[in-house]
Amino acid sequence: MTSRPVLPLADDLFLVAWDVTISGQPRLHPHGIALALAGALLTELVFAGRLAVREEQLVVVGRGAVQDPLAASVLAELVAHPQHTSIPTWLAYMESQATTMVADRLISDGLLVREQPRLLRNRQPRYRYASRAVFGRAAWPPERLRGCLVAHRPVPDQDMMLLALVDACGLTPVLLNDPAMRRTGEAYLATVLRALPAPLSVLARQVRAAVGNAVLTYRTRRL
Amino acid sequence: MTTQHRHPPGDRITAALAANRLGVPAVAFFVLSAAGPLSVIAGVVTTGYAVTGITGLPIAFLVVGAVLALFAVGYVAMARYMANAGAFYTYVTHGLGRPAGVAAAWGALLAYNSIQVALYGVFGAASVPLLAAWLGVTLPWWLIALVAWALVLALGLSRVDLNGRVLAVLLIAEIAVILLFDLADLFHPAGPSLAWEALSPAALFSPGIGALLVIAILGFVGFEAAVVFSEESRDPRRTIPAATYLSVAVIAGVYALSSWLMQVAIGPANIAAVARRDSAETIFILAADHMGDVIATIGRVLFITSTFAAMLSFHNTSARYLFALGRERVLPEVFGRTTARTGAPKTGSIAQSCLGLLVIVVYAILGLDPMVQLFYFGGTLGGFGILVLLTVTAISVPIYFARNPHTEPRTHTLFAPVAAAVILVVMLGLAITNFATLLGVPEGDPLAVILPSLYGIAAVLGLIWAFVLQRLRPGIYQQIGQGAKAVAS
Repeated sequence: MTSRPVLPLADDLFLVAWDVTISGQPRLHPHGIALALAGALLTELVFAGRLAVREEQLVVVGRGAVQDPLAASVLAELVAHPQHTSIPTWLAYMESQATTMVADRLISDGLLVREQPRLLRNRQPRYRYASRAVFGRAAWPPERLRGCLVAHRPVPDQDMMLLALVDACGLTPVLLNDPAMRRTGEAYLATVLRALPAPLSVLARQVRAAVGNAVLTYRTRRL
Repeated sequence: MTTQHRHPPGDRITAALAANRLGVPAVAFFVLSAAGPLSVIAGVVTTGYAVTGITGLPIAFLVVGAVLALFAVGYVAMARYMANAGAFYTYVTHGLGRPAGVAAAWGALLAYNSIQVALYGVFGAASVPLLAAWLGVTLPWWLIALVAWALVLALGLSRVDLNGRVLAVLLIAEIAVILLFDLADLFHPAGPSLAWEALSPAALFSPGIGALLVIAILGFVGFEAAVVFSEESRDPRRTIPAATYLSVAVIAGVYALSSWLMQVAIGPANIAAVARRDSAETIFILAADHMGDVIATIGRVLFITSTFAAMLSFHNTSARYLFALGRERVLPEVFGRTTARTGAPKTGSIAQSCLGLLVIVVYAILGLDPMVQLFYFGGTLGGFGILVLLTVTAISVPIYFARNPHTEPRTHTLFAPVAAAVILVVMLGLAITNFATLLGVPEGDPLAVILPSLYGIAAVLGLIWAFVLQRLRPGIYQQIGQGAKAVAS
């Protein structure tokens, strides 16, 4: 489908979850985005053949170097902590850093710029596309997914997982924001997700569980 | 706070996950502020005296506190094995089976919703005199309740669980005011000697004891929430039990002391008549007599903030129940959705608010009394429901541990839960026989049969629904009790 260079999964997801074209604000609550991005970073290693999901556990299956520095650092963490194999543990651990790390990668690739609010400096930063030259690339992922769902086009492997993560963290209504196309889009999404390979489906399900669990465990409240 | 030595050296994951976690005081603060101590003492205790006319409430608080501490032994032990630990129906599902679990879920929805809705009554009624004094206009209670309703709707959807620090400050202020009032009561006894009878166990054997037990249980509702923080706490095995026992002990102590000293100041013979006359104003009129208007007004304001905090907390509890059931697909999937911007359980929150609006409007149109017919009846209906849930949960605990592998000592899995279950069954029996006394209606009044029967109806509907799911949607039936960890099918 696409003639553009393929972005890593987490970058794609970031660009779906964040309105980088106008407001610079997230389209979803930060907690959901962070958990989904953590899931995306793990999936990148699965795609790269370094990580496998076996019986709901993460197993490092290849230690060869990966090119991308962020993926390499995640792999190094996984290798250094073989005692932790549970997916929820890794999602919880990576969640705190995931958004910043993926944004940093998009910034160093020249796609985004970070704007720190001048007042209230501890507020979450805004992210916008870096220049007119990259506008199309930055705005493309949500349009691509929406187009696939509405027109029932075949979905490439990476976008299948992207859709699974989008759905797991609660972004589907944001993506299918036009009520006229929601029903047909959701029906096709269900068809696509049924075709997802089992290990990826496990990862996406764990992201959904973590996002839902955060609702039940008052995760916004800190004393 | 340091957390060293609890994880192997070099394990950055465990260290990072353990940092910034909640300790005993944080969890206890949360639980206590959700219980809203001042709203219980100024609202529940005074109305309880007014309606039942029984003076044994102080000892009932101590007894119920002891029973709940016993119940908590097995409850917190089992919580560690549960996916959705804050919800009673999870325990029932794993102990007594899925049909019983759905029945318990329906009952819990009824109980939490009636407590939440009841609080609109007391919020409105308690705000009327305050606004009259400040603004010089007497507004109808339901107008104020509607303002509170709109705030709960907005805060529920924006997921502003009231900030922990705000709650902690309010809670400390509430308890300080309660203790100050208690001290003043102690120095202004109505009679020549202190009224010790209310603290004697003999007071428990008065007719209508079942009514007192339900009122006392209502005061403790919220203590079950500490287990929700299991995954958030520094050391679940220590933090959660400690926070639960601490909360129960503080609640029992403060409530028993305050309800007793209220009698000391007013006199056991007069307490029912005075409480009937002054309603939620009772303790503030006393405080104004003893310490002046400023202190009394501070008390009134804290009473209202305390009620609001409890109202929001029960709103969120109900919304999360609906959310968990939506995620399990026991309720339609739409209940499992959240708002994109805040991650609040959208449908559950809206549904709870619709119910609140409906009840306020019906009560306003029918001209019913907000204190007795809304707050007290709704509250006791909820308190009774919690008693039912506690009983069924207590029965579920030993059954679960008998059937599943675990590493808990027998005292936690067998002796304490069985003892708690036996006592709770007796308490439940007393509550059912004394329901007319609880409501203050004559023996044989249909209301005393209808209200407790609502739980029977909820349970039957739950059982039927469970069997329908088992037949038609076995995939969904399998994941009952999994909460958000349920796998979408």
